[in-house]
Amino acid sequence: MKYVDEFRDPELGRVLATEILAAVEPGRHYKFMEVCGGHTHSIYKYGVDDLLPENVELVHGPGCPVCVIPMGRVDDGIAIAREPGVIFTCFGDMMRVPGSSGSLLEAKAEGADIRMVYSPLDALRIAKQNPDREVVFFAIGFETTAPSTALTLKRAKAEGVPNFSCMCSHVTIVPPLRALLDSPDLRLDGFVGPGHVSTVVGARPFEFIPADYGKPIVVAGFEPLDILQAIRMILAQLDEGRCEVENQYARVVPYEGNQRALEVMAEVFELRPHFEWRGLGFISQSGLKLSEAYADLDAEVRFSVPGVRVADPKACQCGEVLKGVIKPWECKVFGTACTPERPIGTCMVSSEGACAAYYNYGRFAREREVV
Amino acid sequence: MQVERIDGVRGLALCAAEDGSKSTVEIALVSVEPGDRVLVHAGVALAELSAR
Repeated sequence: MKYVDEFRDPELGRVLATEILAAVEPGRHYKFMEVCGGHTHSIYKYGVDDLLPENVELVHGPGCPVCVIPMGRVDDGIAIAREPGVIFTCFGDMMRVPGSSGSLLEAKAEGADIRMVYSPLDALRIAKQNPDREVVFFAIGFETTAPSTALTLKRAKAEGVPNFSCMCSHVTIVPPLRALLDSPDLRLDGFVGPGHVSTVVGARPFEFIPADYGKPIVVAGFEPLDILQAIRMILAQLDEGRCEVENQYARVVPYEGNQRALEVMAEVFELRPHFEWRGLGFISQSGLKLSEAYADLDAEVRFSVPGVRVADPKACQCGEVLKGVIKPWECKVFGTACTPERPIGTCMVSSEGACAAYYNYGRFAREREVV
Repeated sequence: MQVERIDGVRGLALCAAEDGSKSTVEIALVSVEPGDRVLVHAGVALAELSAR
């Protein structure tokens, strides 16, 4: 398929791997963060890390939308789902994310009417089909998903669907990156930038990374050659003493983003003063809520939610994984008490989660053999 | 996905995926015509793919 097959060409992959090997300085250790969970998934699905020299290390970033939802938000969703007459809708991955007393899937098994949807538009359709029921959409995700929610809310308002509302847990990517760069725990040499988020926000919002922190960033696509080429481009910047934002994913990402998407988001959402991220704590101006104009469609206004902060399980080290401080297999419960079938932490739930990616593509067995 | 047919009144398009499956996609955020390839996320076309 056009735009896909040519980015999976094994021969070109070997050429890029050779160029990367030639570009690294022997004796220097390079640590690059792939920001997006989609990259993490591709890296382990296609074995991209196996093509890299030993002194080029990839660490996983906070860009998995399911992984960063804290337990308290799951509890809030379950509380709404258990309200009489409510149909609660969410993406499939979200149903298995553990809250303090179970997941949405378990609440469904106990009788709550919780339905999986592929798009917020599906949730709006359910609302139109069930005018005597309250239908709530649990909105999660970064700037990639937020436009879909915003367009759906605009449609709900324009079409006058009074029984539809949204529990908004959308987050933005720049504040956690800044928090990571400010953290003393992590030393990074560069970033593989989030391709899908950048289709919406563009590459310009990442200019603070080279400007304020002196690190290169290359916005990249999700095929194996995209990622290899991005790594090659970061190494070229380091080699040439450059430090800037580059766009490897130009076939999809305009440098200025999608202006229509940004406009609809600005109309429907506003920044929360603070938002809690699983494992990362509260980060200022990192979450979205519905704007005043759309407050009547806000499920958290329409329903009462506990709004209680819940600490992660002590055994779970998703926070360290999300910050790139440890690798998935270094977590105490990885592959034993925490598996994709019975996840303790969010990183083991979503296919974009680093732990699930390691586990599902055989990394678990490989790393144990190495140990 | 590839755009097959456009419903301009409702701002929707019928799109075909790589495996041949078809779905209705919101196209309010892009300017596309039948035959164009688009990046779709959560039911919404976010970008038109270019040959760059």
